Amino acid sequence: MAGRALIVAIAVAAFFIAPHALAEFHLFQICLVAGTALVVLGLIVVTGFAGQISLAQAAFVALGGYGSAILAARWGIPLWAGVPIVSIGAFVVGFVLGQMTLRVSGHYLALVTLAVTAIVQIALIYSDNVTGGAAGMPVPAFEIFGLTLSTGAQLYYVIVPATAMLFLAVHHLNHSHYGRALAAIRQSETAAELMGLNVLRYKAAAFGASGFLGAFGGGLLAPLSTYLDPAQFGITQSVYFLAVAVVGGMMSPLGALVGSIVFVLLPDFLQAFQTYLGLVFALLLLGFIVLRPEGLAGLRLPKGIVAALPRLGGERR
Amino acid sequence: MLAQVLVSSITAGAVYALIALGFVLIYKGTGVVHFGYGDQVTFGAYLVLIAQALIGLPFWPAVVVALVASVLLGALIYGGLMWPLRNASLLAQIIASLAMGTVLREFVRAYMGPSAWPFPFLLSPAPISVFGILVVPANLAIVGVSLGVLALLFLLFERTFHGKAIMAACDNRIGASLIGVQVSMVFLAIWILSSVLATVAGVLVAPLLTLSPDMGLIGIKGFTAAVLGGFNSLPGAVIGGIVLGVLEALAGTYVSSALKDMISYGILIAVVLVRPQGLLGVLAMKKV
Repeated sequence: MAGRALIVAIAVAAFFIAPHALAEFHLFQICLVAGTALVVLGLIVVTGFAGQISLAQAAFVALGGYGSAILAARWGIPLWAGVPIVSIGAFVVGFVLGQMTLRVSGHYLALVTLAVTAIVQIALIYSDNVTGGAAGMPVPAFEIFGLTLSTGAQLYYVIVPATAMLFLAVHHLNHSHYGRALAAIRQSETAAELMGLNVLRYKAAAFGASGFLGAFGGGLLAPLSTYLDPAQFGITQSVYFLAVAVVGGMMSPLGALVGSIVFVLLPDFLQAFQTYLGLVFALLLLGFIVLRPEGLAGLRLPKGIVAALPRLGGERR
Repeated sequence: MLAQVLVSSITAGAVYALIALGFVLIYKGTGVVHFGYGDQVTFGAYLVLIAQALIGLPFWPAVVVALVASVLLGALIYGGLMWPLRNASLLAQIIASLAMGTVLREFVRAYMGPSAWPFPFLLSPAPISVFGILVVPANLAIVGVSLGVLALLFLLFERTFHGKAIMAACDNRIGASLIGVQVSMVFLAIWILSSVLATVAGVLVAPLLTLSPDMGLIGIKGFTAAVLGGFNSLPGAVIGGIVLGVLEALAGTYVSSALKDMISYGILIAVVLVRPQGLLGVLAMKKV
């Protein structure tokens, strides 16, 4: 228990010290890592935990970003309320999509989710009176308690705690009977069904959760980038999120964080090779899936950290 | 008007059919769904440009060099990717093929630039009038090649001993190897064949579409065609491609261009949900 309290204390202290110790640009990057990690966390729930491949993550991110921006611009619903509302909507969309599509699996599922992403992107481009069409639309400022948060340093106080909370929630769920049910389904659907699990319901719920997290991440990333462009929400982007998940590690929430750190910070280290950035990302994905499919989070950690990690999520039931 | 739309749409359909044939060939032959195939088609066309720019060859020798290079690419894909992953999960195989397509696309983007390249037509792009309907010889070539490839693959799979060996190797790897089929050689041959087919398709299609790194997105239309026809049926791939081309053209002409862009994805989803075996496919039952 002492170890756990210590880690929480360190995390909280780091959270409040960071804005004073780091430059504005680094805080922006932390926000970017957090938002991306949230999106990828959704992918880890559905693809890593439940074993169902999804290429629809970019569509959910678009739903979160565009949905909350449109709610704010058209109906004056502030983003702090709009993002959760749209995320719940995305959960429902994901759940229904899951109910419909999860009867098929494997490559058919990949194809259907791919098509969903493509359709959402085309819909964004063609509904120009609402979304601004191919030109995109500006994101209204994030206003809360009378404050207007617009820079990375200001949004930091919203994005990081929200991400941390959702990570903890997923960690808890993964160690509850939901998580064990998903693990059972991943290993053998037939066996899970024989044990009396409603396999379809669980898989659809995992799909819904991926929609919720993807939309939440998208809703948080939108005010950070201040502008929404439909070109950001295509199939390429879905593959990008998949790459982050694979490189980070599919089997634990930690993978989403590790992968996001790698993919957000790498462009800074490779500034001289900007042209080759896409190639580097693609080669990373290819290299990891062939040589190290368990990802970076699957690496062996020093013993002390490993011992402390599971306890972070509370007692195991 | 309607007749003209139909004739023009058959060209687009033949493009989809050609790509769908590649998907079906790989799926029938190795059991893998190759998500990077569209990018491989694009890469094939770029190989010609690279051979022209790098070695300074004229067009036709450059095409030959590109075909030889794609043989090597096919061998590389099997030896470097699909063979090491032969016992990996379906998820890993799907991600690997996606990753391979992304690598090809990003390589082209980095090496040849993100903008579009002009690509010469093999036959005259000038339309000729047949009974008042405009027909383009270059487009007819695509239709002809699609049907030719279909005929060749159909004969190979259905009428030759090698084709039977390929089917056996895919159906039951252990069983096939016990009766003397060299399974790895069969798979290698399929990957090389499909890779050459991708380059042929790329060379034919590039002048028609715009040759840019993102041309590979056409692969999804090929997927839709293959799914529509039934993923394991070669004639189905061609019929699926033509049907898709015609539906797209009709939607674009009579409804809206938004629907034209969306309809293939809609068909993809609808077919998978309602009739996953497609028009001509045989449903593989999952045995418990």
